[in-house]
Amino acid sequence: MAEPEITPELMRISWGPQHPMSGQTRILLDTDGEKVHRIIADLGFTHRGIEKVLENRSLIGGIVPIDRMAMVDTANISIGYVTAAEKALGLEVPERANWIRSLVCEMSRINSHLYAFGLQAEATGYFPAVFLWTTIDREILLDLFEELTGARWSFNFFLPGGVYKDFPEGFADRVVEGVNYLRNRFKDYWNAMIENPMFEMRCDNVAILEPKDALRLGATGPVLRGSGIPVDMRNEEPYAAYADLDWEIITEDACDVMARTKVRFHEIGQSLNMMEQIAKEIPEGEIKTRFSPFARAPEGEHISRVENGRGEMSTHLWTNGTPNPYRVKILPPSLRNMYVFERLAELSHITVADIPVVINSIDPWYLDADR
Amino acid sequence: MSIINAAFGNANQVHQNLAGILAYILEFMTVNARPILQVLVLPGLAFTLVFAIFAVWFERKFLARAMLRVGPYYCGGRSGVLQVFADFIKLFLKEIIIPSDVNWLLFSLSPVMVSAVPALALVLIPFDANWVMWDIGGLGLPMFLAIMGIAPLMPVFAGWVSNNKYSFIGSWRVAYMYISGEIPLVISAAAVAIMAGSFNLVDIVEAQKNMWFAIPQFIGFIVFFLGVLIESERTPFDIPVAEVELVFGWRTEFSGILFGFTMMAEYVMLQAWALLFITLYLGGYNGPIIMGSIIGSHIFWLLTKFLILVVFIVLLRCVFPRPRMDQMLKIGWNYLTPIALLNLFLVLAMKVWGVI
Repeated sequence: MAEPEITPELMRISWGPQHPMSGQTRILLDTDGEKVHRIIADLGFTHRGIEKVLENRSLIGGIVPIDRMAMVDTANISIGYVTAAEKALGLEVPERANWIRSLVCEMSRINSHLYAFGLQAEATGYFPAVFLWTTIDREILLDLFEELTGARWSFNFFLPGGVYKDFPEGFADRVVEGVNYLRNRFKDYWNAMIENPMFEMRCDNVAILEPKDALRLGATGPVLRGSGIPVDMRNEEPYAAYADLDWEIITEDACDVMARTKVRFHEIGQSLNMMEQIAKEIPEGEIKTRFSPFARAPEGEHISRVENGRGEMSTHLWTNGTPNPYRVKILPPSLRNMYVFERLAELSHITVADIPVVINSIDPWYLDADR
Repeated sequence: MSIINAAFGNANQVHQNLAGILAYILEFMTVNARPILQVLVLPGLAFTLVFAIFAVWFERKFLARAMLRVGPYYCGGRSGVLQVFADFIKLFLKEIIIPSDVNWLLFSLSPVMVSAVPALALVLIPFDANWVMWDIGGLGLPMFLAIMGIAPLMPVFAGWVSNNKYSFIGSWRVAYMYISGEIPLVISAAAVAIMAGSFNLVDIVEAQKNMWFAIPQFIGFIVFFLGVLIESERTPFDIPVAEVELVFGWRTEFSGILFGFTMMAEYVMLQAWALLFITLYLGGYNGPIIMGSIIGSHIFWLLTKFLILVVFIVLLRCVFPRPRMDQMLKIGWNYLTPIALLNLFLVLAMKVWGVI
């Protein structure tokens, strides 16, 4: 990236990629003492060309590379691609498969939000106790994933037309057990983070994103809902079993870092409720519609929009009558939110100390943003 | 036997002379060799090093439990005691990388100064009325505050000489921190001196024989404790080295044993301020006499209080996030300084009306 000119009286800090908190990106900060005047995000350090890779695979073979886009939120990424592929192939998904998909997606969302939480605690300067608690509690979900799908991470579980496997014996009970355990643990997180006065000090009224700015800049996910706008793709264009499940869209009106953290917190509560409901009320039936792995999708253009842990991901799939997609374009949520992050220094007062807090309230996953 | 007889006379004389030699050695050890012991053992080298080693080990092991981990496990059995020594050897053997565009002499000297200057203040701490390494009477408390007032300049220099943007921001954070922390701290210490009627640290401790100053001056006690946390850069006030914001603050560029010195400085600062805190508010070396030895029990009580305080300070580390720099300044100037002044006026009023 050609570095933009800097005003002579400011100091430019290169925040990352070699920084304890930056992740795989570089952020340039034009600072005057502690005050940050300008944020320039330099993405692309982890570009792997996943969209191009997908062009060289059959529609069903695409589920393997797509899983690698955001390891922490695998299921929600892959359901976007799988839904688009189903539209292209004209496949119907059995009801039970939809419910299983919703279960795995919600578990994945909790996984993603737990990670965001842990990093948020660490960014405010918490000694990484909370981060390690969230990491350990994630084991519950990973064990459930392993039992259901056979892998802890990156399970290629969703196929166009259904899911790979049905529930093992007694799985529903263990889901309920896990949900109850996590509900108890979340009381601890609430006390350690939201109720902690020092945490409040760091997060209240920091990086305020007004609703009109959030819409103008294209914010999505918890960032948008933290600004009080109830947009959730699970509600806008229900996929999987979300139309049948009981849940509500969480919004907070404070528009600051704390609001985004609270949105994540309450969304985890909603996800746990959904998990419990699915475990108890899942309908019986088939779990997949069979089709040839080399099925040729007729020429066409298909879009799917799904809600990831980080926001709306849209997959745009062109097919031209061959087994492979002609072109795949993915708009990941992290990329959209990074544009918002770049503008936050102009919209509100941000200091150098706020940068890790703010960037973790946006919660970007750079591998996802770089594709 | 004949040799001994030749040297000391008959057996009876030998006995007397041996007793005399033993008595002389004892006297030498307790009176004449006291400066040597003080330099090498108690406020000096061994105490500083052993405390740093203990504190690092305890912090790692204890915080590991808070994080649901085990902590150092393999060096020195499951306790991991030897891990600190292993780390020290590793740091000692590592290459010291000096950036190409810095003054190498100042760069390599500044971490040493960072840990040496606060260590100087330890000579003033009374471990007993007769165990003060540098007894300067009425100048004790002002001298302590003077030395600890110079100490923060060293991290500022260290950050400045590193010629790194993160170190630069870190060093100015140090400067801001100390300005906001030092003033309430000195005002609270002044209130203690007024209550005790003396600047002499020994007199201040003796004045607390019946009641610790923490009770009449509870406000000052809290203010001073926060001041200690701010001054010794302990969490939640480790703003100058905030790892997630500035890579490692003013310590970023130091490597190898120079980094070891900067880490040592953290514990030496904590040690000096914590000991002064105990001396001013928690009765210093006062405590019931045990085992019949006055000096021994005094030293024992001071060290016990010190360890309990350190454990408490480490405990704070897993409970609180760190405030921002502007919030830190607000805490220092808007809250701590007025409260410390209020405490000073309360103490003056008590003194004038003769309550104490």
